[in-house]
Amino acid sequence: MAVTVAEMSQHDRAKSAAERAAIDASCRGPVLVFASSAVFWLLAGSMLALLASVKLHVPYLFTGSAELTFGRVRMAHLQAVGIGWASLASVAACLWLMCRLSRAELIYPKMLYLAGALWNIGVSLAVVGIILGDGQSVEWLDAPPYAPPFFVAALGIVSAWTVAVFRRRREPHLYVTQWYLLGAVFWFPWIYLVAQFMIFWSPAVGVVQPIVNWWFGHNVLGLWFTPVAVGTAYYLIPKIIGRPVHSYYLSIIGFWSLALFYSWAGMHHLIGGPIPAWLATASTVGSMMMFIPVIAVAINHHMTLLGHFHRLRYSPALRFTVFGAISYTLVSFQGSLMALKSVSETVHFTHYIVAHAHLGAYAFVTMIMFGLFYYMIPRLTGREWASSVLIRIHFWCAAVGITTYFVALSIGGWWQGRMMNNPDVPFANIVAYLLPHWLTRTLAGLMLTIGHVAFAISFVMNLAGWGKQRSGGPTFFVEPEKKT
Amino acid sequence: MDRGIVIFLGALLTFSSSWLGLVVFPFRQLGQEQPYQKDEGDIPYPQPLQGLALAGMRVYQHNGCMYCHTQQVRSEKFGDWWDANGEHKTGADIKRSYGLRRTVSRDYIYDNPTMLGTMRTGPDLANIGVRNPSEPWHHTHLLNPRSANSWSIMPSFAFLYAREKIVGSRSDKALSLAREWTVDPGYRWRPSAKEWEAILARQGDSLVAQYTAGQPAAIDITTTEGKKRLLEFWLTTPEEEYQVVPKAEGEALVAYLLALRKAEFPLPEAKE
Ligand code: HEC
Repeated sequence: MAVTVAEMSQHDRAKSAAERAAIDASCRGPVLVFASSAVFWLLAGSMLALLASVKLHVPYLFTGSAELTFGRVRMAHLQAVGIGWASLASVAACLWLMCRLSRAELIYPKMLYLAGALWNIGVSLAVVGIILGDGQSVEWLDAPPYAPPFFVAALGIVSAWTVAVFRRRREPHLYVTQWYLLGAVFWFPWIYLVAQFMIFWSPAVGVVQPIVNWWFGHNVLGLWFTPVAVGTAYYLIPKIIGRPVHSYYLSIIGFWSLALFYSWAGMHHLIGGPIPAWLATASTVGSMMMFIPVIAVAINHHMTLLGHFHRLRYSPALRFTVFGAISYTLVSFQGSLMALKSVSETVHFTHYIVAHAHLGAYAFVTMIMFGLFYYMIPRLTGREWASSVLIRIHFWCAAVGITTYFVALSIGGWWQGRMMNNPDVPFANIVAYLLPHWLTRTLAGLMLTIGHVAFAISFVMNLAGWGKQRSGGPTFFVEPEKKT
Repeated sequence: MDRGIVIFLGALLTFSSSWLGLVVFPFRQLGQEQPYQKDEGDIPYPQPLQGLALAGMRVYQHNGCMYCHTQQVRSEKFGDWWDANGEHKTGADIKRSYGLRRTVSRDYIYDNPTMLGTMRTGPDLANIGVRNPSEPWHHTHLLNPRSANSWSIMPSFAFLYAREKIVGSRSDKALSLAREWTVDPGYRWRPSAKEWEAILARQGDSLVAQYTAGQPAAIDITTTEGKKRLLEFWLTTPEEEYQVVPKAEGEALVAYLLALRKAEFPLPEAKE
C-alpha cells in the first residue's frame, strides 16, 4: 500500500491495472452472488423490522395472524439481517478484499456458487421456519434446527476459500486488513459450531446455555462483523484518499488487543442473572480493556484521514465508510461504559440495549458494508452507479434514520430502566412512557427502509447494465492514479 | 515462520482463552448441579416440566414470548432507586413480587432451552404461576391482553383459541368474556352504526328488557343517547350462540405459565 505514484513506472502501472482487472474478473460471479443475496435479505429484514416495530405501538396490527406475531417477526428479523444481510455482505468483503490484497485470483468459483446457494437456503429456511412457528427463542440462534447445517457447510467453503486465496498470494507484504479477515473466517465457524453444539445438538444444562448464547451473541459482533468491517475500513479509507495508513504498529496493536479482549466481554448481557459473579466481573474487565483496540483504530483512521476530509463530499464510498468508522469508536466507548455496574444495572432489560445493538450492527457494520458496495460493485460490473440522487437519498436516510433511532431508544431505554428499578412506579406507566419512543423508532425505521430501497434500486440498475461504462475512477471523485 | 501461521496461532491462542474461561470452565462448574433436597424424603426442587406444561413451554418458545418477558429475578442489592422521601434503596424485582429471592443457577437445571430473556417490555414471569395462579385470567389475557389491562401493548394470542357455535350447553372451558372481546377474537369488536340499527330492529325490545332487569333506570331507544347506552350495555354481555375455547396449544401454554414457580422455594445458596 505504501508505494507512491512516483515510484511506479508507466509500464508497471499498466501491468498492475491489468492484474487488478483479472482479479476482479475472477471474483465477479461469486462475489456478486453473495452481494446480491445480501441486498435481498437487507430488504426482507427491513420489512420484518418495520412490522415488529409498528406492532409495539399498534398491537392490533395483524393480530389474528400467528405467523406475524411479534415474537416470530422479531426472531425472523434478526436472522434475515444478521445471518442474511450482514453476514453475506461480510463474505463478499472477505472474498474480494482477500483477492485484491493477496493479488491472487479466486479459484474454483463453482464451489463458491454452491456456498452462496447453501447459505441462501439456510437463511430462507430460518426465516420461513420461524414465521411458521419453529423459532428457537435463543437470541441470535433462533433458526430452526434444519437451517444451521446449511450455514455450516457454506461457511466452511467460504472460510476455506478465503484462506486458500491467502495461501496463493503473490503479494509478499501482508496488509492489516488481511489479518482481520483471516481472524474473522477462523473465529466465526468456531463460535457458531460451539454454540450450535452446546445449545442444540447436545444441550448443556440450565444456565450454561445462556452463557454460551451470550458468548456467541457478543462474539458474532466482535469477532465476525467487527473484524470484517474494521478490515474493510482499513482498506477503503487509505485507498480512496490515496495515502498509506498512518501507523502500522497501531494497527497491529489494535488487531491483537481486539482478539484478546473482545472475546471476554460477552457476559455483561447476564449481569445480575443466575450465573457465577466472577463471570460478569471477567467480562467487565474485558469490556474496559476494549478501550485499547478502539482507541488504536480510531487514532489510525483519524490520522489517515487528516487533511482529506473534503473528499467526503465527493466519494459516497468514503462517506459511508467514515460514518461507520466513527460509529465504531462511539459504539465501543459506549459498550465499555455500559460495563460499569451503575450504568448496566439501569439499562439491563431495556430498549437502551436495542439502541446500542443497532449502533453497532447498523451505524458501524452496515454503513461500512454500504461503503464497500459503493466502491466494489462498479469494479466488478464495470459500470458506474447510474444515479447520484439515489445514493444521496440512501446516505441521508441511513444517517438521519439511524441517528434518530439511536437517540429515541437510548433516551427511552434509560428512563425505562430507571422506572423499572423503582418498584413504586407501576408497570403501566413504563409502557405508556415508551409509546412515543417506539413511534419515533418506527419513523426512523421507515427512513432506513426508504434508504435501503434506493440502494437496492441502484444496485439492480447497476447489475442490469444501466450507468456508464467504467473508465478508471468511480463516479463522484477522481481516484488518485496509483498501484494495487 | 510463515506470517499466515503466526496469525493463525495468535488467533487460536487469544480466542482459546475466552473459550476456556467463559465456556468450558462454567460448563464444568455448573454442569453437575443436582436438585436440592433439605431432608431425606422431601420432594427435591426443582422438578422437570411434564406433559401439558412441557408442551406449553414449546408454545412459549416458538412464539417468542421471551423477547418481551424475562424469567430471572435479581437480588435485593441490584439496581438503585430512591423512594418518595429520597431514601436510597435497591432491589426492585423482589418488591415487584417477581419472586421471594433472587434466582440462582439451580433453578434452571431442568430448563431446555433456558429462556432467561433479555428484555422487559412486559413483567418478569419467573414466578407467574404463584403470582397469578388463575387459569381463567391467563386465558382471557392471552386471547386479548387489553381485556385485562386496557393499557397493554402485548400482542393478542387469539390464534391459540377457537370461536365456535355452542351446541347443547356452554363448555366448561369457555372464556367468560363479553361479546366485545369474543365476536372477533383478538380484536375489540363494535358493530357499525348500521349493524347496530339492524340488531335493534330485530331484538331491541328484549335487550331493553334485559337492560332494565338489572338496572331500574328506564331507557328510550328512540333517542341517540339511549341507543348508545344500550350498546355499551350489550357489548358487556356474553354472546348467546358462540363461545371461545382454548385450543390444545392455548391450554398447554397456560399450564406452562402456571408451572412457572421459580424463586419461591428457598435454596441455601440464594440467601442474600
Ligand atoms: C410485545 C411484547 C410482548 C410479547 C411478545 C408478549 N408479552 Fe406478555 N406482556 C407484555 C406486556 C407489556 C405486559 C403487561 C401488560 C399486560 O398485562 O398485558 C404483559 C403481561 C403478561 C402477563 C401478565 C404478567 C403479570 O405480571 O400480570 C403474562 C402472564 C404474559 N404477559 C404472558 C405472555 C406470554 C405467554 C407470551 C407469549 C405467548 C407473551 N406474554 C408475549 C408484553 C408482551
